[in-house]
Amino acid sequence: MLQFVVSGVAIGAVYGLIGMALAITFYVTRIINFAQGQMMMATVMVTAEISAAGYPTWAAALLGLACACILGVLSYLVAVRPILALNRFSFGWLVSTLGFAVILENAAAYIWGPTSQAFPPLLQATSFHLFDAVLTGQQLLAIVTAAVLTAGFELVRRGTLFGKIGMATAADPEMATAVGVNTTVVAIVAFAASALYAGVAGLLIGPTTFANPYLGDTFGTFGFIAMMIGGGTEKPIAAMFGGLLLGLCAEGANAMINSQASDWFPFLVLVVVLIVSPRGLFSAGSLFGLRARAVAPAQA
Amino acid sequence: MFVAAYLAATASVAHSDLGVQSLVLVAAVFGILAISLDLVAGMLGLYSLGQGGFFAIGAYFTTIVVNTLGWNSFLVLLMVLLIAGLIGLAVGAMSLRVSGLYFAITSFIFTLVLTVLATDLKITGGLQGLLGPAFPDFPEGLDALGTPVAWCVMLALLLCVGFVWSIRKSPLYPVLLSIRDAERFAEAAGVRTSLIKIGVFGVSAAMAGGAGWLFAFLGVVSPGQFDWAVSLNILVMVLIGGINTTLGPVIGAAFVSMFPALVNINPWLQEMAYGALSILAVTLLPGGVMSLLKRVSAFGEGAAPEPAIAAVDRTEAPVEASVFRKFASRSAGAAQAAGPEPEYAVECRGVRFTYGTGLMVLRNVDLAVRRGDIHGLIGPNGSGKSTLANVIAGRLQPLSGATLIKGVRVDGASPSKRAKLGMRRTFQAAELVRELTPIQNVMVGLFTLKPRIIPRAPFWPFLPSGRRDLAWMEGRSREALEMVGAGAWVGRAVGDVPHGVEQLTQLASVCVAGPDIIVLDEPATGLSAREVDHLAGILSELKAQGVTMIIIEHQTRFLFPLCDRVTVLNAGEVILTGTADEVRAHPVVRQVYLGE
Repeated sequence: MLQFVVSGVAIGAVYGLIGMALAITFYVTRIINFAQGQMMMATVMVTAEISAAGYPTWAAALLGLACACILGVLSYLVAVRPILALNRFSFGWLVSTLGFAVILENAAAYIWGPTSQAFPPLLQATSFHLFDAVLTGQQLLAIVTAAVLTAGFELVRRGTLFGKIGMATAADPEMATAVGVNTTVVAIVAFAASALYAGVAGLLIGPTTFANPYLGDTFGTFGFIAMMIGGGTEKPIAAMFGGLLLGLCAEGANAMINSQASDWFPFLVLVVVLIVSPRGLFSAGSLFGLRARAVAPAQA
Repeated sequence: MFVAAYLAATASVAHSDLGVQSLVLVAAVFGILAISLDLVAGMLGLYSLGQGGFFAIGAYFTTIVVNTLGWNSFLVLLMVLLIAGLIGLAVGAMSLRVSGLYFAITSFIFTLVLTVLATDLKITGGLQGLLGPAFPDFPEGLDALGTPVAWCVMLALLLCVGFVWSIRKSPLYPVLLSIRDAERFAEAAGVRTSLIKIGVFGVSAAMAGGAGWLFAFLGVVSPGQFDWAVSLNILVMVLIGGINTTLGPVIGAAFVSMFPALVNINPWLQEMAYGALSILAVTLLPGGVMSLLKRVSAFGEGAAPEPAIAAVDRTEAPVEASVFRKFASRSAGAAQAAGPEPEYAVECRGVRFTYGTGLMVLRNVDLAVRRGDIHGLIGPNGSGKSTLANVIAGRLQPLSGATLIKGVRVDGASPSKRAKLGMRRTFQAAELVRELTPIQNVMVGLFTLKPRIIPRAPFWPFLPSGRRDLAWMEGRSREALEMVGAGAWVGRAVGDVPHGVEQLTQLASVCVAGPDIIVLDEPATGLSAREVDHLAGILSELKAQGVTMIIIEHQTRFLFPLCDRVTVLNAGEVILTGTADEVRAHPVVRQVYLGE
């Protein structure tokens, strides 16, 4: 019983990281970057490639992360900035970020071929015992990394001026510019940070899934579900909680229903959550929406 | 002529080989899907990613029922339209709870769930899918026409294009756009926005389901053809072709769906080219291909001479009483028959309101506006004037207390219900549809006056009653605009007119329906001195016609000469209600508002 909780939390940590990546981008620019999953995939592919070429694992990992960051910034400059410059409330980014994702995924398939390749293990094959559950070193690393990165993000968001600038840029970029904020720089940093989070998620899951150009689709979708369940569109940290919940649900369904259940059970959870609480489980109650209705109930 | 050419093209498609047919017909089916999305996304602003789901429902239902139960295909079409439409109504109802991005996400998940169901349920054939049914053949005599399925698909596309074209030419179009851009304005004019949103969404879902019915006859039906990527692709088609245009979605669908056939290279490079093209299309041409075509055709004709910006002095034309009589309070005559009119047009008794932060914004407010009066509402910023106006208009529900309009309690009634009682209101920042002209915006105010606009909308240009009614509505709107002094600007888009003209357009849209009560929220904001005088003239004339008015204003020099009575609010409480002179002389009022 404890086993699925443990593995659920471990995989949930990975989903949560991708969810946070999406949430960080949304936090600063109010758009959802459909290419986020592809950043993760890029890290995995590049790391696998460089490691296969003989370089040490840590170097390969760093290069993989750097690659993801570059692609992240590129996705902003090419697919997001021109759209937002024209009209802050347009939905054109749905198309352009998707287009960017399509380009990345097919470029990877073209370069490396559609089949999976080996990914270097990040840790020795150790395992720990927690009561009657087994926890691999990889899983423990995932949980610890996620905890550190989540806490780190919250600290930056609340404690530093940069975090506040991020909030201001999201709320009203024109006003932020008027008080001296360079919104482009803020957005670039946010996109790079998102890509970093997605990349780290890739490094953590790589040994299990191997390097495959189509990883971005699956994990991007799960990361998105994690963000929506948790309510990460309002607070990025909620995406991590959403991810943990999602991981628990997926592994729990696997253990208690049947091994195919983790395909559809997360969606069921998502539908239920959205019906009950459209803004996610951990979000505040206030109305957000780009076209919020003005009729407000008088009760607090 | 266009229709004839189209039919000829259809005939040639019906006789061509399977490859060409398949290409064109699939593109046509996606054309129908794109039109269905443009209906909700372009005209109502509801970006839905759920078309894939309704498409799937149509295709799978058709395949399963026709193949296993053997029912008549056309009967199944009716069922598909009904079922998809009903589910569409349910999903559309969700759009009332969540707006904008969240609705897009919810509809996206709807499609996701359906795809997962299609993949995992045995009846739908899993990932392999099912083989679609065969289309019924033509009766003996018509065999010469070629493949029946081709005719069916192309005629369906023509029907959908005609449907959308007719709606664009009907009075429903400005109303839909006003729901998209200025929902509060539409509601205040009496439009039942929620019902229309849900209804149009249902129609769009039925259309997408119908496209699924057509698609089932074209080959295999498998989950991969209906997933969220397809939904997104349909949005891409609409955006590339030109959102909120009649032909744009069809052009976009043709381009996106035929692209793989036209660019026949390595499939991965092909996808990359498609991705790059969609990014370019959306960043360089936000209006889509149609905007490019418009620009080219305008260039070809030579730039039309820009109408000289009429001098703003036009608003100085003396206000003619005779024109106002046309818009006189409609119930003035009817009420005589119904019995004695209530003394008070609007009453508030003990109204208390809070926005939920703990601060009581309105504390026990009593207000009594006599019929035929101009009643002013003044007070410092934050005193609750706009909140009170919103409570009277129905946008906000008070914590306790009663609101009465013409003696009828309206406590829970929505703004559109109150509009039925003869109340209209203006907003401090004019809410109008920027891409339409003032005439079209004012026509929204007439929506409730003509019967059965919605059922007639899909056929409007073909109905003599439609043409008649539209001419009447346009004429009346033009008169209203001339009456308020904005006659010189009727042809320009509202986005291009000066602020003063926007305010006048708002006023015209309110007057055109002949209301009994008008609530004006800071109508003189941003107007020049000359425009303010003109506005005062209009309001006096309206009063002479028997219209009751509640005016919130800061410009007391404009307000006091107009008002019969004035209520002063401070920090949510009524300090005083009296004549203008009484208010001006009152010490507390001078202290908190007017200044010593």
